Amino acid sequence: MSVQHIHAFLIHPGKRSTERAQIVGTTVSLTGGMFDLLDGIYAKSDRECDVDITFSPTADGQQQNDCRDLVVAYLGHPDLPKGKKIAERLAAHTDGRSGLGLLFLIAGKVGREHKILLSRFPTDSAIYVDENPNALSVQFLERVFMKNKTSYKAVVYQHASLRGGFWSGRAIDKQLNTLSGEPSNYWISDFLLSDFTTTPAAGTRRLAIALRDAAKKAPLPIKQELTAAGTLAGGLAGQRLSINDFGSRLGLSQAAKNAIADELKSSQAVQEVFQFDVATYKSLVAYKSVELSNGALLTADTDKFDRVFQQEPVDGGEGEVRFVTKGKVVDEKLKTAR
Amino acid sequence: MKNSKQRGNSLEAAYRIRHQEALTPIAEALCQHITEIFKGEPRIDRITTRAKDPESFLKKASTQVENRIKYSEPLSQIQDQIGARIITFYRSDVERLDAIVRRFFKPIEFRDRVPDSEWEFGYFGRHYVLILPSDVKSDSIDKNKIPEFFELQIKTLFQHAWSEADHDLGYKPGSIPLGPDEKRKLAYTSAQAWGADQIFDELFRARVPAGE
Repeated sequence: MSVQHIHAFLIHPGKRSTERAQIVGTTVSLTGGMFDLLDGIYAKSDRECDVDITFSPTADGQQQNDCRDLVVAYLGHPDLPKGKKIAERLAAHTDGRSGLGLLFLIAGKVGREHKILLSRFPTDSAIYVDENPNALSVQFLERVFMKNKTSYKAVVYQHASLRGGFWSGRAIDKQLNTLSGEPSNYWISDFLLSDFTTTPAAGTRRLAIALRDAAKKAPLPIKQELTAAGTLAGGLAGQRLSINDFGSRLGLSQAAKNAIADELKSSQAVQEVFQFDVATYKSLVAYKSVELSNGALLTADTDKFDRVFQQEPVDGGEGEVRFVTKGKVVDEKLKTAR
Repeated sequence: MKNSKQRGNSLEAAYRIRHQEALTPIAEALCQHITEIFKGEPRIDRITTRAKDPESFLKKASTQVENRIKYSEPLSQIQDQIGARIITFYRSDVERLDAIVRRFFKPIEFRDRVPDSEWEFGYFGRHYVLILPSDVKSDSIDKNKIPEFFELQIKTLFQHAWSEADHDLGYKPGSIPLGPDEKRKLAYTSAQAWGADQIFDELFRARVPAGE
């Protein structure tokens, strides 16, 4: 896994700006401390970039994407002028809220495959402290670029074919679920002209079916965990998450997480990030039912179940519970099957 | 440097393995996946999928444009190694199903395939190149053999009937090229199928309340 080219560009916000700042770039040496830092980021990018994204076609459906064209052209012959085109595109989609950034284009090969990491460090200010036995000096630093800020962005692409490949990649966008709005979308939607590979409906459907099917098969304690999670899922409306994240956010046990994962065809599916779509979810997990040992079957809308049925333990009853509800009878049914 | 024969042989061997070990099981899983997504939708005549057979793939891989090979990396560039087709009744149904396709799949291309000129008749159909969802990629299949995309076609019954007959008559391996009158006959049948689609859709929209 060797890095072969690194170029860096300072990106001034250029969106809504009448005067575009001149983009200045440089070639980064493939030795030294800076290289070691970037080489480490490049090596870890497969793990760090965890949002599957795909370049979008043109509005009229043609298989062409302006950003992909720039990335592929750069990879075909990585040099400063081709890198500058990518930098100019990023500047044109960066507004004042995102501020100054430092873009690195890190290209290399992994076996037969081309690999590129686009990494944008946000700017910050910092205080530099120099300590010696007799004195302490402090100095204010501007234009410090830091990877650990939430506004750090990156995307990695890897494929053997420059012609047929490089449609999909993986991104980091720690602002996906922040309330800051537009700046969180500029990296994936505007600059990369991409979208999540897994659509909201597809990802939510996959989760809902896995959750529902796992709840049917699992032993009772796991079943209760899964149905409880199912009733709370409505609160995730609009959130960007993976099936793994779903389990963690709702505090599921490892056994419950495994039960969901076992329902999926591929292990990749648990990691794919999507936007949770409540309408799709409700169409698949509409009702929660609880069956009691006395033959009672209680059913309600999944997200209302815990509100319409109050559950309390029965004193002295071995695991027995009492469900209480109140309302007017509006309908009654005889059903052929459960 | 491999000559073209060696390239063809190694490509054929690689594709045959891919076809057997990856494309065929994925096409089956994809059929089930699409069928489940479109379950309950009215006026779907059938949903089918197929893994492109090795002969068709190799023929496409050898396509030349201006005396140059069109696909220098056919395993990556040919995007219909897995194909899916939804046949529906009326033209209005195509729009309804299109909305569902876009809800559940990520496209890198979508277009209506129509003849080049309004004065010509031939193939009609809506085509998509879509990302192959991980729901159909079993962990037991070698990732290197799994294509990134599949092609989906949505056609009316008449569009489908015409393209099947056209393919059977005009594109069979070793068949004699169609003569001018034979081409006109095929264009004529396409025009009739197009007209039938128009009339059926008008009747459908007049008789069936919007939204059904």
